[in-house]
Amino acid sequence: MSNVNYGTIIKNGIFGENPVFRLALSLCPAVAVTSGVKNGLLMGVAVLFVMTMVNATVSLLRNFINPKVRIPSYMFIIATWVTVTDLIMAAYSREVYKQMGLYIMLIVAFAIVLSRAEMFASKNKLLPSIVDGAAMGMGFLLALVLLGIFREFLGKGSLWGVQLLPGKPLLIMIMPTGGFFAMGLIMGWLNWIDRKFFGGTGGGGGAH
Amino acid sequence: MKDMMKITLSLVLIFIAAALIMGVTYKYTSPVRFLAEKKEKEEALKEMAPDATDPINPTGTWRSSHGKPYEYYLATAGGKPVAYISSTAGKGYSSFIAMLVSLDTDLKVRDVKILHHGETPGLGDQIEGKSFIGQFTGKALSQLILLKTETTENIQAISGATISSRAVTNGVKDAVQTLVDTYGAGVKSAAQGVAK
Repeated sequence: MSNVNYGTIIKNGIFGENPVFRLALSLCPAVAVTSGVKNGLLMGVAVLFVMTMVNATVSLLRNFINPKVRIPSYMFIIATWVTVTDLIMAAYSREVYKQMGLYIMLIVAFAIVLSRAEMFASKNKLLPSIVDGAAMGMGFLLALVLLGIFREFLGKGSLWGVQLLPGKPLLIMIMPTGGFFAMGLIMGWLNWIDRKFFGGTGGGGGAH
Repeated sequence: MKDMMKITLSLVLIFIAAALIMGVTYKYTSPVRFLAEKKEKEEALKEMAPDATDPINPTGTWRSSHGKPYEYYLATAGGKPVAYISSTAGKGYSSFIAMLVSLDTDLKVRDVKILHHGETPGLGDQIEGKSFIGQFTGKALSQLILLKTETTENIQAISGATISSRAVTNGVKDAVQTLVDTYGAGVKSAAQGVAK
């Protein structure tokens, strides 16, 4: 991989292999935190940071990590950066931490973080790995925000906590059940767009 | 054998480096976090008794029916008690609902503040609404009963969120009971003193 196309990596992370809508990875946090736009965005930012740092670290250590114990090594690197994120958030952004604190530690178990470390960062140089981590994190962030907009607007009639509609049109949307409805609908919609306008085959789950 | 040593060494080195990173982060963030948490707690207490001029310090601890320890506080202004405050919690539908309860010196509820909870958004989280939590103000211990019918004398449950409503009511009741047991005797004798 001497000539790396950064544009392709970025496009891949956000659209082609979007963690939530294309790879269908880390769905359970995506459902858990997206009852509002704000939570979705904050979670996305935390994941973006963790993924970038993990990819950078794994890439730097890729010749040092013994292949036989690579998974425990990756897990430990992930856990380290998640703990650092948790500690920094707890100290410097109290308001955010009160709402998100529970979920931050769960980033350790996000499949998408481990899968990028294993599939990309362990085989590529530092800079492409950082770009890949950031692009994938960005894809995750955008997916969460999209889900958050959809669910908060329909479920609570508000966006970013600001009430826009008089009532709650579809309360079920902010419950976990509604999370799966929203995910399926948006995934289907994106696949339809892909088929109709870009001649793609669509994706989701089995695409990878 | 040589392979095993190499694997162990590489893992140990990664673990040590990770421990160092986490340790350094903890060292620099924990004082900030500690101060912020302390300040938040003080502000919440201050909100419960805005007329208290002296710093509010814990005067004792009690154990609720679900076995967790809570603190109670005496709020004073110029050495005279203005409010009794206690932290408490109720076991809700999907979380413990942590609260602060303050009593006036006549042992009636002055204010209830929900600190944090994890109840169902859209249903259980209505306990934070003024129309529910405001009901507690001015109630005496014997009035803290949850009813499903319309009432102003007692506490009216939120339809669709009875478990969350009951949790709040029980949590408040526990705290009020404790505060009455602790400070009630003093208040009664003081009142009798005035009557004489």
